[in-house]
Amino acid sequence: MDVRIEGLRFHRGRRIVLDVPSLVLADGRTTALVGPNGAGKSTLLRLIAGLERPTAGRVLLGGVSASPRAARERVSYAFQEAIFLSDSVRANIELGLRLRGAGRAERRRRRRAEEAAAVFGIEALLDRPARRLSGGEAQRANLARALSLRAPITLLDEPLSGLDGPARRQLLHALPAMLRQFATTTVVVTHDRDEALRLADDIAVLIDGRLRVAGPRATTFGSPPDAETAAFMGYTLLPVEGATCAIAPRGLRIGPGDHEFAMAVDEVLDFGVRREVWGRIAGVVVSVGLSAGEGPLPAEIQVSATSRATVFFRHERTPDDETFTNPGVDSPVLPA
Amino acid sequence: MDALWEGLKEAIRLIVTGDAALRDIAWRTVVVSGTATLFAMAVGVPAGYALARGRFRGRTVILGIVNTGMGMPPVVIGLVVWLMLVRSGPFGGFELVYTKRAMVIAQFLIAVPLVVGFTAAAIQSLPRDLPDLLAILGAGPVRRLWLLAKEAQLGILAAVMAGFGGVVSEVGASMTVGGNLQGETRVLTTAIVTETSRGENEKAMALGIVLLAMAFAVNIALTSVQQRRRG
Repeated sequence: MDVRIEGLRFHRGRRIVLDVPSLVLADGRTTALVGPNGAGKSTLLRLIAGLERPTAGRVLLGGVSASPRAARERVSYAFQEAIFLSDSVRANIELGLRLRGAGRAERRRRRRAEEAAAVFGIEALLDRPARRLSGGEAQRANLARALSLRAPITLLDEPLSGLDGPARRQLLHALPAMLRQFATTTVVVTHDRDEALRLADDIAVLIDGRLRVAGPRATTFGSPPDAETAAFMGYTLLPVEGATCAIAPRGLRIGPGDHEFAMAVDEVLDFGVRREVWGRIAGVVVSVGLSAGEGPLPAEIQVSATSRATVFFRHERTPDDETFTNPGVDSPVLPA
Repeated sequence: MDALWEGLKEAIRLIVTGDAALRDIAWRTVVVSGTATLFAMAVGVPAGYALARGRFRGRTVILGIVNTGMGMPPVVIGLVVWLMLVRSGPFGGFELVYTKRAMVIAQFLIAVPLVVGFTAAAIQSLPRDLPDLLAILGAGPVRRLWLLAKEAQLGILAAVMAGFGGVVSEVGASMTVGGNLQGETRVLTTAIVTETSRGENEKAMALGIVLLAMAFAVNIALTSVQQRRRG
């Protein structure tokens, strides 16, 4: 079931909290709603869930206007904070099934709760008091409760927040497969770029309540429309001859073509299989990673940039030892 | 000290002998204060919820009024109710003054701010998103209120205890609107005042001990429910 947002505006008092002229969250796909704190991401989720009413415009859930009633039939929502009633994990997971009449027969309800618990690895915790779970366990139970409903639209608000490093990595690794298993249209709110890249097919960027860009992951991250969005995405912004060149996050690799601006090399660090060059481009300190076998390092490295700087993502091991894959796109030269 | 000791002996004697007058007064006290507390709960719990969760103009002012009402002297409430119910008052035609119903109305007005205030505090202490979570899970408004009340039951039971404790122990309002008529509107507190003014200190003390025992019994019952559910 798709989610269509048309001319949506949401005001709190006189303040415009959200302004989304048009956005389609495609059926069966996972969309990451990213943006800095206070960008309006959670407000947009609440509007989709019918918990807030738009000041103008509308949100359509499979063609039906979002409302509490429509949401009860179509939406499941894992809030950022894992909230539970003072009952067992099982009772908490079964509550939504019981309230929605999704599992009228007790046996069927139990089975569905147990299936969801198994997917999230919390079967052993089903009879424990939900409020005594650790942070990671609680977040898993929170997600299991939401996904057990098998609603056509699933909303996850910062599903990995509050987790420590290992628990976060584990869930980040497992979540895409879990989401696929439940096969719903999913919206994940996050302010973390890596989470968005790992979890989502599509990305929508909200900054200051305004939708800046939306689309498939690779093109969205490859084409930030403005400096603010690029900076949020982790690009390094270089002022070059009256324009701003956005250097893609996670380092840059020199591409072929004509050279337009140069990098003055300050230091070369040799790690054996990989060498790292530190220097400055237009006064901004930049590090460049070079794999072994790319030939001798010049004293001065020039970066190709005519209308677009040919700057690529580097494939590397991230600090948390996850292989980071990315689209390897040219970095755009942003409008002045 | 003698009065206290004699009062205790008199209280035991009255209870053991099953004194009809005492039983009558005690039962009337339970009925009047219990009814007022039940009505206060029926109004106060939803109102407390609305105040805790609502986002409407004037909410802060209403909360201020409720908080003021929690400390309102019962005799002032009694006076206002009396002025409303007395024959020349706006509701004089109902002929309620000096009846048990008038006492229930006055005690209801004393208990309502206590129940509203305690309920609002209990609901506000729940996770902010819990009502929305219940709504999205599929609970309609009534079911949501019930589930939230269950979650906030420790605080709501405290509201009941505060409401019942407040009305069962007040004397000013009951005296003003009930008139302390023997066999009609006399309750434990007004009976204590009467016996004291007659110089019957032992009997007054005995009634006081019965009142305390009754309040203790009700509160210990509610507390045991509260603590069992907590565990």
